[in-house]
Amino acid sequence: MKVFPDDLLYNREHAWVRVEGELATIGLTDYAQENLGEILAIELPEVDAYVERDEPFGTIESAKGVFELLSPVSGEVISVNEDILDDIGIINSDPHDTGWMIVVGMKDLEELDDLLDSREYHDFVLKEAEGD
Amino acid sequence: MIWRFIPFKQLNAFENMAIDEAIFRGNQRSDSPPTLRFYSWSPPAISLGYFQETWKEVNVEACRYYSVDIVRRPTGGKAVLHEHDVTYAVVAKENNPLFPADILGTYKVISGCIADALSELGIETEMASDGRASHDELLKAACFSSPSRYELLVTKRKICGSAQVRSRGVFLQHGSILLDFNPLKTCAVLLSHDGDREWQIKQLQESVTSIYEYTGPTVNVTTICHVLKKSFEKKLGVELVEGGLTPEEEVLKTRLLSDKYMTDRWNMEGKGTNYGY
Repeated sequence: MKVFPDDLLYNREHAWVRVEGELATIGLTDYAQENLGEILAIELPEVDAYVERDEPFGTIESAKGVFELLSPVSGEVISVNEDILDDIGIINSDPHDTGWMIVVGMKDLEELDDLLDSREYHDFVLKEAEGD
Repeated sequence: MIWRFIPFKQLNAFENMAIDEAIFRGNQRSDSPPTLRFYSWSPPAISLGYFQETWKEVNVEACRYYSVDIVRRPTGGKAVLHEHDVTYAVVAKENNPLFPADILGTYKVISGCIADALSELGIETEMASDGRASHDELLKAACFSSPSRYELLVTKRKICGSAQVRSRGVFLQHGSILLDFNPLKTCAVLLSHDGDREWQIKQLQESVTSIYEYTGPTVNVTTICHVLKKSFEKKLGVELVEGGLTPEEEVLKTRLLSDKYMTDRWNMEGKGTNYGY
């Protein structure tokens, strides 16, 4: 089983969040990218767009299908990672770091309380994998 | 386990996609049952994968000439010409015990249902073991030119293509089972004419087949849908109970039709996205 960084929080839709003050950097977990296989296309919101918690902020396609990315927090999109739009392979090769997707200016920091820490997320994916 | 069965109907491309997405979103709100639906397309249409670029994949002028509609699917994959096919849509929760959590496993289960039905019709299939590269860049746009894992082949030629979308713990799988195949028209509406057209047609002929090629055109759609339904029931061990859309799904369908599937913004530009439903 993969190791998930301790400094990140996770939702049950396999997005991770790195919190710095009111800014939340969001990406897709290593577990998710491995399950999806080679990612072929991505659609992300534009800067200034507003994303809602548990609502789609983007869509990706791998050889297995199309998948909506659900936001772990609500807020305004401050930044979008242009590098992954140019080289989408980064999401597969470095999902927890340079493969980040968007930065959101959080509206409600209490939303973070509902997210999982690395140990909880580890247990969650273990259970999900056992469902195979 | 009881599933909803929405029987075969011929509708236009935009309605077909709006209905499928309404069922998909309905399942996300957890008040819709797992569903199997069969349909065909009138007028004929090209359905594009979610991320495909219409102007790069489709000969729009040829579509106008042949009165072929163009619609973008919520699912992934490549372009399909729907003229002589039966399309299915399966919508269920990802944690439905009939399907493995592994995404490819879902394709395998559903392909198994279709393989048994085709066998009943006297057509023996095998599942593609791995993605096969298309022979030519110009052929890559066409869904049937390149089978993915667990898609169905008859003597190495594809007879059924499929694609999925997943969100909020629910999946929608689309599949097109070919009754008949017209490589000339497929090349005319889907592929660039910059290459050697005769060679492209030959490649499609060699990589795609259809039910009628084996049964002749005497088997009607009603029979095929009946055999498919029985096969899904038996293989999945479910009871398929005939039904229609729920009132909530009807409302959603109407909204999706006007705001999304009947707009050039979605179908031609790929904008408008899957969001907000």
